[in-house]
Amino acid sequence: MFTFFGSLRAAFLRFANLFRQRNLDAQLSDELESHLQLHIEDNLRSGMTPVQARRDALFKLGGLQNTVETIRDRRAIAWLESFFRDLQFTLRQLRRKPAFVLTAVLSFALGIGANATIFAIVSSFVLRPAPVADPNSLLSLNISEQAGCCNHFSGPLFEDVRSGAQSFSGVAGYFDLVPASISGKGEPERIWGQLTTTNYFDIAQTGMILGRGFTAEEDHQPVVVIGNRIWRRRFDSDPNIAGKTVLLSGHPYTIVGVTPPAFHGLDLILDSQFWVPLGNADQIADQVLPDTRSRSSREYHWLSVIARLRPGISRPQAVAELAILAQNSAAAHSQFEKNIGFRASTAGSLPPRDRPTIILFLTAVSIVALLVLCIACANVTNLFLVHASARRQEMAVRISLGASKIRLLRQILTESMLLAIAGGLLGLIISLWATSALSSFRLPVPIPLDLSVSLDLRVLACAFALTVAVGFLFGFAPAWNASRPTVSTALKGEELVLRAGRFFSLRNILVIAQIAMSIILLCATGLFLHSLKNASVMDIGFRSRGVLAMSVDPRLHGYTPERTIQFLDQLRERVAALPGVVSAAYTDVLPLSMGNRSDGFTVEGRSAPSDSPPSVELYMVSSGYFDAMGIPRIAGRDFTNDSATSPRVAVANERFARLFFGEGSALGRRVNGGGVTYEIIGVVGNIKSRTLGEENRPLLFRALSQSVAGDPSMLGYSILAVYSGDPSSLSQAVRSQIHALDPSLAIFNSKTISEQVRDALFLPRLAGILFGLFGILGILLATLGLYGVMSYSVSRRTREIGIRLALGAPANNVRRLVVTHGMTLVLIALLIGYPVAFAAAKVASSFLYGVQPHDLFTFAFVPIFLSAVALLSCYFPARRAARVDPIVALRYE
Amino acid sequence: MNEKKDVLQGTLALMVLKTLQALGPLHGYGIARRIEQTSGDLLSLNYGTLYPALLKLEQEGFISSEWGFSDNNRKAKYYKLTRAGHRQLEKETREWQETSAILARFLASGEEC
Repeated sequence: MFTFFGSLRAAFLRFANLFRQRNLDAQLSDELESHLQLHIEDNLRSGMTPVQARRDALFKLGGLQNTVETIRDRRAIAWLESFFRDLQFTLRQLRRKPAFVLTAVLSFALGIGANATIFAIVSSFVLRPAPVADPNSLLSLNISEQAGCCNHFSGPLFEDVRSGAQSFSGVAGYFDLVPASISGKGEPERIWGQLTTTNYFDIAQTGMILGRGFTAEEDHQPVVVIGNRIWRRRFDSDPNIAGKTVLLSGHPYTIVGVTPPAFHGLDLILDSQFWVPLGNADQIADQVLPDTRSRSSREYHWLSVIARLRPGISRPQAVAELAILAQNSAAAHSQFEKNIGFRASTAGSLPPRDRPTIILFLTAVSIVALLVLCIACANVTNLFLVHASARRQEMAVRISLGASKIRLLRQILTESMLLAIAGGLLGLIISLWATSALSSFRLPVPIPLDLSVSLDLRVLACAFALTVAVGFLFGFAPAWNASRPTVSTALKGEELVLRAGRFFSLRNILVIAQIAMSIILLCATGLFLHSLKNASVMDIGFRSRGVLAMSVDPRLHGYTPERTIQFLDQLRERVAALPGVVSAAYTDVLPLSMGNRSDGFTVEGRSAPSDSPPSVELYMVSSGYFDAMGIPRIAGRDFTNDSATSPRVAVANERFARLFFGEGSALGRRVNGGGVTYEIIGVVGNIKSRTLGEENRPLLFRALSQSVAGDPSMLGYSILAVYSGDPSSLSQAVRSQIHALDPSLAIFNSKTISEQVRDALFLPRLAGILFGLFGILGILLATLGLYGVMSYSVSRRTREIGIRLALGAPANNVRRLVVTHGMTLVLIALLIGYPVAFAAAKVASSFLYGVQPHDLFTFAFVPIFLSAVALLSCYFPARRAARVDPIVALRYE
Repeated sequence: MNEKKDVLQGTLALMVLKTLQALGPLHGYGIARRIEQTSGDLLSLNYGTLYPALLKLEQEGFISSEWGFSDNNRKAKYYKLTRAGHRQLEKETREWQETSAILARFLASGEEC
């Protein structure tokens, strides 16, 4: 019966009417008034008395107010109009209960903020596409062998794929980590870059903000593309930079292009800042790559590969073709490429090897954050339920005055949405703060990583969805509950006098869920705090203050090994002579740098115990290192004048000695690793090598002087100055000593040992703080929830309690009644939460160092603590119950 | 028993349109009285429900209104059919006749069984 245009027109008019409210109201009352007059006149004419006539007319018109309401609803878009009215009303209502508003908004803000922050991490590292054109068609290729996934390509294999694969419009290769010092404004600076085939930028399609990528003829030309950050910082965003010359590790290179700000290579977190054609490898990357002959052997895997899908070719088609290529390679070069396979993943996504671990970790954290949000929600729902119930009388009045139930529902939902939106906004502010804090954090690693996390549109959408879900979820149940009071009883305020209420009411279930969730959180918190405490009192094995470290890499500046050693010796003398410096020594990398070179080791003359020899971390150190670092020497001697030509010697730590030689002496024994044989000349104490929480690892310290030539450090050499006094002035002094010897040297990784330890503590601390906050928040909310429910139940049962007391029940019994009720809820929650927490702890211990799954302290303490808190939150309502005055209670209406 | 019937849902609009077609421009009270009289006073019309129906018809463009004066010089709002209203009346009349024919046949066949 409606026509489409008819309804459209009606909708438009109704919308327009929204803004003509007053005038229309006047017209309506005029019309109804004239109707009444006409009717009354008619009635009078038919012989009624004036009073009768009027009454009859009014009667026939029906409830006047009702008619006006219906017409109003019809006239404008009813919900929009009444939405504004609801909004006004709600704001007025909320202003009257600031405590409730504060609790609700804060709860939501923390919950939504936590979730938005976690999701920002997920978005930045898992969901964000690479900053290239059409990221979905850009693949990153890896080799999978029998042993496992994800090796690099060898040079010839790359050529095989490049020339053989038809599915790709282009295939490019690059070497991912090349250090170089770069000239420009100020002191030279060490940065990291990549060596690429000349087609790299054509295939990646990054789009240059200045200049161009490489041309096919430039493979051996000294040309460079620089990163946006370097361009801005070292070249003042010079718009005419293209064509200018820059010194890379002392060699002149011509800048041909500048990348856009978002692009820092295609590896997710590596922060590359320059790109040079692969033909320059011998000049610029001789210390990180072997010579041309090795580079073109099938044995040496070093190239990362990206490939652009040909338009119209799907990924499965490309993978199928790669599989055929792999078979061909395996057949043709069975010696090196037996069982080889290719894997393709979207370029710039998580590295396939670490993907499962990272995803597992992020999932775990997301679950924790969601748990917090759930607790917050349950809590606010409960508070809201209590409030809503207190408003039953009001609701009943409104219903009996003719408000529709939908109308009441809508009004309560308006209230919950308003609270949720306020919480969501505050939550976004919180996560804005949290993400910027996360981005400013640096892992204590010597290579450049980009870990910046930002709020993007995806995060905003997620936060918005959460807000709406939260608002709706927590509003709906109370709204439903409150909008169906039994009018007659509720009006009288004598709601269900003696019914104690079902035990498994929504409210009780919410409290149980809340407590169960906080048990899980508390257990997790306990585990983390405990392991954090262990970490902070843990013996790291070396001096944690009073050492300044500063790195240089003379080989980047064309030093020969001999000159490097000469330079280092001179520098050491100069630094040791500085006032305030006690002694000086060298190492390649400070401990606690999250990972260092490692090799499988075997004892000479003994066959390897299994297929894979134990992995040993290698450090390069000079004489005096152990004393400078305060690492106790247990047996044997320190390095002395072990020259590059004398037999290779090394110092092992205790763990190494025990692992390879058991109770026997390690001194004088010879071990093999990485193709070199070392004689062990000393044993020192254990130190924490990668992270604070780790088990002691086997370590081998090699003589720096013997390693510079054959096996140089990729991360430069760090001078360690043991000082007494102020490190900041010392830092400047050491810097000027370095530049006095060679002003072109780039200085990097300058920090004190206490800074290094503090950085290493950051991650466990962050986790501890996060979990601690979440845990405390959880228990706070749960306690509040329990208290609210108990108070409410007491106030609901005031009359029942009054009767009990009047009939002679002792106050103790009444108290027990309330406490038993509360503690039953806690007990049920414990029974549910405890096993889950136990299982969760097992999962956590599988991927977090130093977390013991069955930490007795935590698992014994949490239930006791929780019960105590719960008891407290039951006690006050119980006391109030026992103080009920029977006379007042029974009169209470 | 002479029990009065309530107005069937959805038929009020049709009655209003028909009334306006038959009598020309008319105010709300007049429409209400006319509907009652035409039904031979068998229909009980709550006058209050008439005004939302009028508003709806007006919003849909089937009737239009303007203020005028009644026979005894009282100010009243007069409604009249628009051209779309005439079409709508034809359409609804046809539909209603079809519906009631079907229902009549249906009920008749029920008696035979």
